[in-house]
Amino acid sequence: MKNIVSLLILSSIFLASCEKNIDLYPQSNITSGDFFKNASDVQIALNGSYNALRDPLLEEWKLTELRSDNTIMWSSASKSAPNRDLSDLDMFIPSTSHTAVYNYWIANYFNIRNVNNILNSLNINYDPTVGKLNAGSTTVVITDAQKKAVSSEAAFIRAYHYFNLVRLFGGVMVIHEPLDPFEAIKINRSTVDNTYKLIIADLTYAIENGSTLKQASIPVANLGKVDAWAAKALLAKVYLTLNRKTDAALLLNDIITNSGYGLVTAYADVFSTTNEMNKEVMFAIRYKAGGIGQGSPFPNLFASELSGVAIINGDGAGQNAPSVELSNAYSVLTGAVDLRKAVSIGTYGAEYNNLYPKKMVAQVSLKGDGENDWIVIRYADVLLMLAEAQGNTAASLALMNQTRARAGLPALTATTVSTTEIFENELAKERRLEFAFENIRWFDLLRFKTTMPSQDAVATIKANFSAMWTGHYSKYPTPLTLATIQSYVTDQKLLLPIPQREIDNNTKIVIAQNPGY
Amino acid sequence: MMPMLLCTLLVNAQKTSVTGKVIDKETGAPLSGVTILFEKNKKAITTKNDGTFSFTINTPDKNVTFTYVGYLAQKMTLGEETNYVISMVQDNTLQSEVVVIGYGTQKKSSLTGAISKFKNENLDEAPVSRIDQALQGKIAGLTIQNTSSEAGAAPKISIRGISSLYAGASPLIVVDGLPIADGLSFLNPADIESIEVLKDAASAAIYGSRGASGVIIVTTKKGSSSKTKYNFKYSSGQKKAYQRYDIMTTKEYSNMLFNEVALRATDPGFPAKDNIVGDADRAGYIIENALLGGKSTDWQSETLRPGGFKNIQLSASGGSNNVRFFVSGGYQNDEGMQNKSNYEKFNIRTRVDVDFSSKVKLSVNINPSYAKKVSPSQNFTNFWRAPTWLPVYHNALTAAFVNTNPQYAGIKAGDFAHPRHFSNLKYTGIMPDGTTWTSPTKGASASGSAQQNAYSDIMRSDITSNDYRLQSSVDLSIELAKGLIFKTVASSLMYYTNGLSFYEREYNSEGSLNRGVYTNNRYVDLLSENTLNYTKQTKKSNINVFAGFTSQTTKIQNQQTTGIDFPSDKIRTLNSASQIEKSGTTGTNNQIGLISYLGRVNYAYDDKYLISASYRTDGSSYFAQGSKWGQFPSISGGWVVSKEKLLSKLYWLSNLKLRQSYGVSGNNRIVDFAFLDLLYGANYNYGSGTGVTAPGLISSDDYLSNPNITWESTRQNNFGVDLALFSNKVSITFDIYKSVTDRLLLQQSAMAFTGVPQFWNNLGKLQNKGFEFEVTTKNIQKKDFIWTTSANISQTRNKILELGTEAFLLNQGERTEVYRNKVGDPLVTFYGFKTDGVWLSQDQINNSGLKSALPSIFAPGGLKVVDMNKDGVIDNNDRTDLGNPYPDFNWGVTNTFKFKSIDFSFLLQGVHGGKLINGDPNYNESRRIIRTYNQNRWISPLNPGDGKTPYSTNGFNWMLTDYVIEDASYYALREVNLGYTLPSASIKKLKVNSMRLYFSAQNLFFITAANYRGVNPEGRFSNGPYSSVLIDGYQRGAFPIPQTFTAGIDINF
Repeated sequence: MKNIVSLLILSSIFLASCEKNIDLYPQSNITSGDFFKNASDVQIALNGSYNALRDPLLEEWKLTELRSDNTIMWSSASKSAPNRDLSDLDMFIPSTSHTAVYNYWIANYFNIRNVNNILNSLNINYDPTVGKLNAGSTTVVITDAQKKAVSSEAAFIRAYHYFNLVRLFGGVMVIHEPLDPFEAIKINRSTVDNTYKLIIADLTYAIENGSTLKQASIPVANLGKVDAWAAKALLAKVYLTLNRKTDAALLLNDIITNSGYGLVTAYADVFSTTNEMNKEVMFAIRYKAGGIGQGSPFPNLFASELSGVAIINGDGAGQNAPSVELSNAYSVLTGAVDLRKAVSIGTYGAEYNNLYPKKMVAQVSLKGDGENDWIVIRYADVLLMLAEAQGNTAASLALMNQTRARAGLPALTATTVSTTEIFENELAKERRLEFAFENIRWFDLLRFKTTMPSQDAVATIKANFSAMWTGHYSKYPTPLTLATIQSYVTDQKLLLPIPQREIDNNTKIVIAQNPGY
Repeated sequence: MMPMLLCTLLVNAQKTSVTGKVIDKETGAPLSGVTILFEKNKKAITTKNDGTFSFTINTPDKNVTFTYVGYLAQKMTLGEETNYVISMVQDNTLQSEVVVIGYGTQKKSSLTGAISKFKNENLDEAPVSRIDQALQGKIAGLTIQNTSSEAGAAPKISIRGISSLYAGASPLIVVDGLPIADGLSFLNPADIESIEVLKDAASAAIYGSRGASGVIIVTTKKGSSSKTKYNFKYSSGQKKAYQRYDIMTTKEYSNMLFNEVALRATDPGFPAKDNIVGDADRAGYIIENALLGGKSTDWQSETLRPGGFKNIQLSASGGSNNVRFFVSGGYQNDEGMQNKSNYEKFNIRTRVDVDFSSKVKLSVNINPSYAKKVSPSQNFTNFWRAPTWLPVYHNALTAAFVNTNPQYAGIKAGDFAHPRHFSNLKYTGIMPDGTTWTSPTKGASASGSAQQNAYSDIMRSDITSNDYRLQSSVDLSIELAKGLIFKTVASSLMYYTNGLSFYEREYNSEGSLNRGVYTNNRYVDLLSENTLNYTKQTKKSNINVFAGFTSQTTKIQNQQTTGIDFPSDKIRTLNSASQIEKSGTTGTNNQIGLISYLGRVNYAYDDKYLISASYRTDGSSYFAQGSKWGQFPSISGGWVVSKEKLLSKLYWLSNLKLRQSYGVSGNNRIVDFAFLDLLYGANYNYGSGTGVTAPGLISSDDYLSNPNITWESTRQNNFGVDLALFSNKVSITFDIYKSVTDRLLLQQSAMAFTGVPQFWNNLGKLQNKGFEFEVTTKNIQKKDFIWTTSANISQTRNKILELGTEAFLLNQGERTEVYRNKVGDPLVTFYGFKTDGVWLSQDQINNSGLKSALPSIFAPGGLKVVDMNKDGVIDNNDRTDLGNPYPDFNWGVTNTFKFKSIDFSFLLQGVHGGKLINGDPNYNESRRIIRTYNQNRWISPLNPGDGKTPYSTNGFNWMLTDYVIEDASYYALREVNLGYTLPSASIKKLKVNSMRLYFSAQNLFFITAANYRGVNPEGRFSNGPYSSVLIDGYQRGAFPIPQTFTAGIDINF
């Protein structure tokens, strides 16, 4: 009996200590619940949000450059599923469950979630009725200056994502707070107007609270962080898109006068991996080579297919291939050699004319580990946006002549640019050549409809199909005629479909698909 | 065991009246209710409570039979005597069999739950490296699917279907009391004594939170008190692919294309502009026809080989009354059918049982093992889909040809040939139609593939992993009082896995750096069990009470380091790497804890009325405070009807037992810390130049946590019948069950605009019902000839009862094929478009009046999608149920024959009714070169083929339609074993006790459904999206079924 008693006592001691056995927490991860404690934590989270800016870029060129008249899916004869997916986008027949469309959608919203967490931890809330961000008090230990810096950058990032989404999909779900999945199924698409309302509120907040230091005075450690100037440039583009030209011009003039940003002398130096964050770069999504998991995949994706080591180490995938028509567009009309062509477009294989977007492709030592930053807004864009906002004036021509001069092209004069239509043609072309492969052309085509009525996206793309028919589109294997492929492009198809998964997944409310899909 | 009859003859001179008593031979206890059958007039009487009987007989009625449940029947001829003592012997093969149950053992005759026992007789003779692969078709309700037949690959195992959405169907594996998730992978098949499968929830409920998908208990061998016995077994054999893909050579393919062109030229309905053979096809033809001299490359033969199999076992067992031991050592080598695929295993097991006294007993079990796995870096798919014009190595002609491209000027004969070498070149050559073709000035490419020749990739890589394990346990039991035993068990599983995947320079792509990935994983699992067991037996009743406490802690540490740019491919240690790659370098630590209180009462009255109840409560670290604890009760009862007086006279009825059980079991197997949102590293770089890296953290882009996440629980009702007839010549077990799992643990799809694709939820209800039927018959039992048959068939039907507030979920697989989970339907149904052959012509399309915005839906020669809702528009609303992946029946039949010293057995096994989605035809190469996709295909309106086979490049995406859905049914001659035991006279001089030679073969035939187009209907994809049970039934590039032949020898001395 004694034995039993002592056993029971022993066991009970053992049991008491065992409760600890099931109260375990992760050893290799921090949990989000108790993370936001002080300024450093918020900064670390913000660094993570900058990192997550990279994910949408993986798909963005497919939805912008590829659909525009700039690039094509190179192997027209290929029927492989990934290539078919790309040519479907190129030809404006993406299915509603297209992988790239879905991946882009969720990648943007993923980072919107991250940014919402940061802003929420700082108690900075969007009031949709007045369209304004309000800052409340926070439990996070942070100075006012730190709070302004971090929150302005976060607000910019949110606006950047929504601006891309609204232009590609139309009105989207406007999420500005951490969202749980049970709430999510009650939320439908917002109108385009309400989406822009948040974008403008975010950018206004970023302008009011962001750094206004001149480019040359930015502390080295802060290069690459969003400042008020970047927010102004982005807001100007928003205004331009909404055809609020005066509002845009006001911001752009401010940047030109006060920001200290400017053109670098040589076009090639803008994109050089040894000259990153030069004075032209107002905002870039940065990459860093060196086997640290921060490298850019684009050099290997964009170098010509099957080029082995001829262009860069680790072979290329031949994606986002420049169209011959774009290549030809450099220096036509003017007669002069456009210095940008040799920087922008590379040729692989003397005989076969495989083109690749050279300015995005710097040598790598390790496959998929590129150094090239992805420039989102640069000073040249500010100049040309102002020209677009001002319209056909001598001042506008002077702005355009700044980038033209750098490209080695003769200046435009009022004589040659005799009509508004010529002006608009010249400006559209200037932007196309200046920003080729920077995911800008597609949004330009969409915007020109309102800012420069002579430029019609559908007509431009149809004309491009026609120009590229013999050399490219006619080679697609399915019975395809020029008329058929041109009929694929309609005003409706300028928007992408809302991912089918999103519509399928909500059995509570009906999410309207964009018309035409 | 030989039936024995012992009569003690007492002389008493009365002629017509006979009296006597029936006792158990071993215990001497009187047996009541024993049936005494008079053969002549078929009358029967039974013995009284004290085992006595009396009757009178007529002289001719001298032959009587004694039968009793759980005992061997005895026949006797009455002699002159009038008083007999009949000693009956328990039938060890059947009712008195002891079955291992959770935390104990029980007589099979007292079982109230649904438990199948499989005794290891020749499992270890099967030429497989894993014990689970050998169990296929042998146990009703246990489904084993060899989703990959590569060496050492784990099959998919389920008991009674799928009861859990996330954790899937994998049962809990318990090895000698210790739950080990991959317990079936490392055990030496020869060490296994028996395998018990706990199928119903009442049996599994004692395992609480982990029992919902059933439990497989493995018991290893132990020694017995006897003179030391030795056993030596050696076997060796070979396996080869049962079936390969039927691939067209480039020549055959080109001929087909040119014939098609000729046919189309005569068809005005086909546009002349499209009637061409592409440059790539022409270029490929020139290479094969001219440069390779018409010799096509058989890529399947380049990688497949006859894989050797070797198995060596040596064991010794014996001991004295107080100390018994079992020691074994084993070595297995399983060579895969693909090159660079190998699985090698060494096992040692030592088990010692010590009786310190009659009350204190100790047992120690130690099992170290080592396994080495070598895997090929390229899967089989990349071989069979390679074009036959591509040589493995360049010959002089191909080298000279590719040298014309300055980039490949350095290539020599004997170098590996890659598809890209043959791109952008100028081709000239004779076509199958006799014309001469010259490529356009730009040049042509025979292939646009950037992939390398898969053989070169395999040869330039070595993927190995080493698994070092030590499983050990010590248990001490003390009899505290009469019938009360305290037992404490400490067991542990420790393993250490290290691996090196080394990729040489030029692996995968030109100019790629060499790379070494070093993995180190440590796993320590400690379990402490403390139990009290009280047994009391009275004359009529038998009670067993059991209570216990267990605590289990698991610590897991995983590390991976990736080094790149080694100066030489030969020196592969990390110190010579020039750089560590951050993105390939990771480390995680984790711990898991479980504590449990459990108890059970078994009560039997008169061995006739049986009742059992159990209760367990588990606390798990997988859940947050407040949700940690789960309760798992069960109750079950049995009634041995055949022991009732009324039925005991039925001489043909040996046993009839009815069982009913109800239990609750659970499932906690989700990812670690699903109740917490974890942050992951996401660094970024600021600053001038290339920037300086700043640390960043970001939330999971995989799933959202749910702080309220908790157990899912399965409640199951089981009704069973055990029936034995004709002196146990026929025994039947039948079970029927119905279970409902609720609060399902599920990674539910979240709206993507939350930023995260899924979240953890306890959602919905899932029902499973089905039956299992097992029958064993002793067809012939002669001295020289024994024939027994054992057959089983089972069925499981699952149905979603509720999905929270959702009516259905839609999930996509890798090629956007859609899987629907809909309330009222089976768990997964394939969801897509129905087709009705192919569009024969543009006219037919125009006349249909159908409209659609879907891409390429109307194309002559393309699939004709059916407008299901007949609204004239083909859109996503026309998608419908296209079948499901769950079989209607699984069955297996084993026949065993013994003729003198020859033994022979074979197993037929089959699965009927399930469907699969074949992903092969998604790929261009497969459609092009697998013959089945091209035979009788549409060519032009006047040459529509069979009207069912689309032209491979025309029309709608096959993956969204029923065109890729195929019947996965099959039946196969799984096993054949033939043995010959040498006559004892001839081996006496060798000083061995017995010697047996055996031969076994697997998959001598394997018959698949008529519309199945792959090579292995069991093959399934289980990576990526397919790791979810909500997306099931997808196959792509299945690995061939192995056909094996083995010969072996088994010596006891």
